[in-house]
Amino acid sequence: MGDLHLIGTEHQTDAVYALQRSKQKARFLKFKDMLQQPVVDLDVLRKLSWSGVPTAIRPIVWQLLVGYLPCNSDRRNVALERKRKEYQDGVQQTFARGIEGLDQTIWHQVFIDVPRTNPKMALFQNQTTQRCLERILYCWAIRHPASSYVQGINDLVTPFFLVFLTAYIEEDQDPESYDISLLPPEILSAIEADSYWCLSKLLDGIQDNFTHAQPGIQRQIVKLRELICRIDAPLAAHLQSEHVEFIQFSFRWMNCLLMREVTLQHTIRMWDTYLTEHPHGFSEFHLYVCAAFLTKWSAELMRMEFQEIMLFLQDVPTDDWQEKEIELLLSEAFMWKSLFHASPMHLGGSK
Amino acid sequence: MSKDDEYDYLFKVVLIGDSGVGKSNLVSRFTRNEFNLESKSTIGVEFTTRSIQVDAKTIKAQIWDTAGQERYRAITSAYYRGAVGALLVYDIAKHATYENVGRWLKELRDHADNNIVIMLVGNKSDLRHLRAVPTDEAKQFAAENGLSFIETSALDSSNVELSFQRILTEIYRIVSNKALESSGDVIRPTGGETINVNPNSGDVAAAGKCC
Repeated sequence: MGDLHLIGTEHQTDAVYALQRSKQKARFLKFKDMLQQPVVDLDVLRKLSWSGVPTAIRPIVWQLLVGYLPCNSDRRNVALERKRKEYQDGVQQTFARGIEGLDQTIWHQVFIDVPRTNPKMALFQNQTTQRCLERILYCWAIRHPASSYVQGINDLVTPFFLVFLTAYIEEDQDPESYDISLLPPEILSAIEADSYWCLSKLLDGIQDNFTHAQPGIQRQIVKLRELICRIDAPLAAHLQSEHVEFIQFSFRWMNCLLMREVTLQHTIRMWDTYLTEHPHGFSEFHLYVCAAFLTKWSAELMRMEFQEIMLFLQDVPTDDWQEKEIELLLSEAFMWKSLFHASPMHLGGSK
Repeated sequence: MSKDDEYDYLFKVVLIGDSGVGKSNLVSRFTRNEFNLESKSTIGVEFTTRSIQVDAKTIKAQIWDTAGQERYRAITSAYYRGAVGALLVYDIAKHATYENVGRWLKELRDHADNNIVIMLVGNKSDLRHLRAVPTDEAKQFAAENGLSFIETSALDSSNVELSFQRILTEIYRIVSNKALESSGDVIRPTGGETINVNPNSGDVAAAGKCC
């Protein structure tokens, strides 16, 4: 399970590492213990998951948090079987008449976007994976005509797909480079179905991000601006004086949930926390994460002009980020949310 | 202001066209000499710049590369305002992307300034064996609609540099001619907040006042 949430500095002694390991182990056991209960207490699971979920049990924890898997352990297998079959039946029906039978506009967009999904990662360049993603995205699109498939949704399915894959491979195998075509068809099909349903659950909470004119995102951008005016007024003023509009840089942050800004592994860590706030994690809490993310670069941005700001914010230097940076971001977001969320008037008066 | 930021003219140019025709690769080829066969799709709009020389003047292109998918139209069309040039890109190997050119022109008519310079760009000219749009047909269409026309390949670089050179030069000629013909605030493209000619540039100030 590796370094879960206790990341050390370079100067740590072995004793500190040992302490961390024992803490991680204790934490892992807590998770395990909870998951073995006949009925999982979601509130407790949320509290525990907020600071990160161990890799080995992440698949089941995510499925519980997102509301896909029943808390009652007796019902889980039946529910899983039913949902997986329902998905597979849907796929069969949808693709019964081959590619010609599909809505060509939607299919074309999905078809050209799937190879452009995590293009540098072997798992997602694998043909087997790509066929799975095509079916997931197309089926979701035709069942949600108000939004249909929108570019960026292809990014959002990848954390689920990768995490659910880890349930079926050895712990020391790297899922990002795993050759998925080695898996038996029934396992592949389970990963695909589970990814579909969990993606659906996630998107249910942010559907107006993807409907006409994307009002959900527009709203979030306005709120982000208001928030920055409150928590970093000099930065807000600087952006304004440089004619940088929030939509110009934060649209993608909202549309792809910062997935284009951090690695997939770090996105997964972020989603541990987002999922504990489901269904509002991917909208409300994400807004505060974006605020924390922007203000993190405040000192740099204050020294820049329009062009530099735009180029910087399109390609934020997170390459050397470790998990501790993500956790700091989440903690700051939590703080801002605690301060502002329950008192929207704080924001309203900020103009 | 840093050195590479000195320029005589600043022109805002947008790239539009169907999803997957290679807009982002045209931009990355022009600005960084890079090409990615499978690069991530553009979400919303991406910004970049590059400067070129025309008649010993430095022209800085502020390039806004837009997402091609229909759903993003509401977002991206806001970026047309103030643009003095548009590269309308299609894929010579995908006829449907050429058929949609009319729709994109309407988008520009609805949202962009009237005097915007438009260049029709048939990209992926390296795909000779897959060509679905004859050069002559596109050329004729361009002529009938008052657009300039070029075929490019971001993959093998052919004509990429030339396409940007041409449209920027064309804009430059129009702008500098106008500056000669009339007086007043003619260099400033209408409604373009970000297109303002660099106030620190002596050349431009002189050009504006010279008549």
